[in-house]
Amino acid sequence: MADFGGWEMPIEYPDGGVLKEHAAVRERVGLFDVSHLGKMQVSGPGAREFVNRQFTNDLSRIDPGQAQYSMLCDVSGGVVDDLIVYLRTDSDVFVVPNAANTAAVVEQLTAAAPDGVTVEDQHTRFGVLAVQGPRADAVMQSLGLPYGHEYMGFVETDFQGAPVIVCRTGYTGERGYELLPTWESTPALWDAVMEVVAAEGGRPVGLGARDTLRTEMGYPLHGQDLSSTISPVQARAGWAVGWNKPEFPGRSTLLAEKEAGPRRRLFGLLATDRGIPRPHMQVKDAAGSIIGEVTSGTFSPTLRTGIGLALLESSTSEGMEVTVDVRGRPSTMTVVRPPFVDVSPR
Amino acid sequence: MYPEDLKYTTDHEWVRSVGEATVRFGITDYAQDALGDIVYVSLPDVGAALATGDPCGEVESTKSVSDLYAPVTGTVTGRNEALGATPEVVNADAYGEGWMVEVELTDPAQLEALLDSAAYAAHVASS
Repeated sequence: MADFGGWEMPIEYPDGGVLKEHAAVRERVGLFDVSHLGKMQVSGPGAREFVNRQFTNDLSRIDPGQAQYSMLCDVSGGVVDDLIVYLRTDSDVFVVPNAANTAAVVEQLTAAAPDGVTVEDQHTRFGVLAVQGPRADAVMQSLGLPYGHEYMGFVETDFQGAPVIVCRTGYTGERGYELLPTWESTPALWDAVMEVVAAEGGRPVGLGARDTLRTEMGYPLHGQDLSSTISPVQARAGWAVGWNKPEFPGRSTLLAEKEAGPRRRLFGLLATDRGIPRPHMQVKDAAGSIIGEVTSGTFSPTLRTGIGLALLESSTSEGMEVTVDVRGRPSTMTVVRPPFVDVSPR
Repeated sequence: MYPEDLKYTTDHEWVRSVGEATVRFGITDYAQDALGDIVYVSLPDVGAALATGDPCGEVESTKSVSDLYAPVTGTVTGRNEALGATPEVVNADAYGEGWMVEVELTDPAQLEALLDSAAYAAHVASS
């Protein structure tokens, strides 16, 4: 178990391990307890418009019943957090931020909220269980839960008499669902889902494999690949910015950076030898000049080789060979465009 | 719980006598379990001189990387090349196929300074 922002989290499960748990998600199905994720509720007349003036992505692109990946920036374009926004109605928006950043997001929104719009931290009112992998639909069907709705869509239902939100979301790259039961009903739901997951040849999955799975997709982790000093433009998250929106914190800085071109960008690294990149390792070009550093790195269980994300000078090009300083040992890696594996959550 | 025919270090390595002045060493079952899935092992070159306590390699798992420390003083006479392609053998068979380095000892008496099975078990229990 590991302390993760005050939450006691399993890195891996007994009889599992990162490699087995990772393979279960890619080949069958895995069950994650990510109840540490933050939850907050923005309610009142104009809640949707208010949220749209705060977060980067354009909430007018989706309809009620759909969720959206978005970010909250500070005025200088730094990322306070990346999060998922669930649009229920124009006056009811549910938000799932990262555990460690929930307080900061609640604080920034509360300070900006107009009269009539309330921002409520609901961190321990809901649990979050993720069912991810090619057998996820079969698991949902066996449980009598909704499945097969469109990617990023969600359905509110109940299970054994307790309400649960079922979303077609996840952070593994696989087809799957995230379930948001009430906090009190989460253990019983875990037990019920785990039984079916095991019957489908799946297993519980800890934080270790959650990291290898998301890294294989090139999905950013806040605090490593996106942060108060790594902007959405640098992290190639511009697709989740509503550039045509008139306002949101950081807009003018980000727009200027986008137009001028960022001085550094997030690239993928694929090891050509047995080196494994890890955060903060230096990256050099063929001439030996430092061009940036690794932000996320791990051993890819699918490719059986080292992979990583690195913030490198914008002049870096895909296909370039670079050298990563792996604790004093030079490792040769190729600059690539993630994802590293050929899977799709759709 | 830990094989009685082996010697141990407080760095969770085991040492096995395989000749009059020759030993093999690797990491203990406790160490492989704590590291998790091992994906890369870096070992000293044959001919390298080792001194007790010096870092001489690395064991990297999906979760972390740890230094390998020389448990004895001597010269490397062999290393387990199979671990290059199949480092997971260390997880599966830490005391057998998962051996790492073979060393010719400068002084065979130095083995007496290492922990026996019971002393190592006590060390694990207290750590």
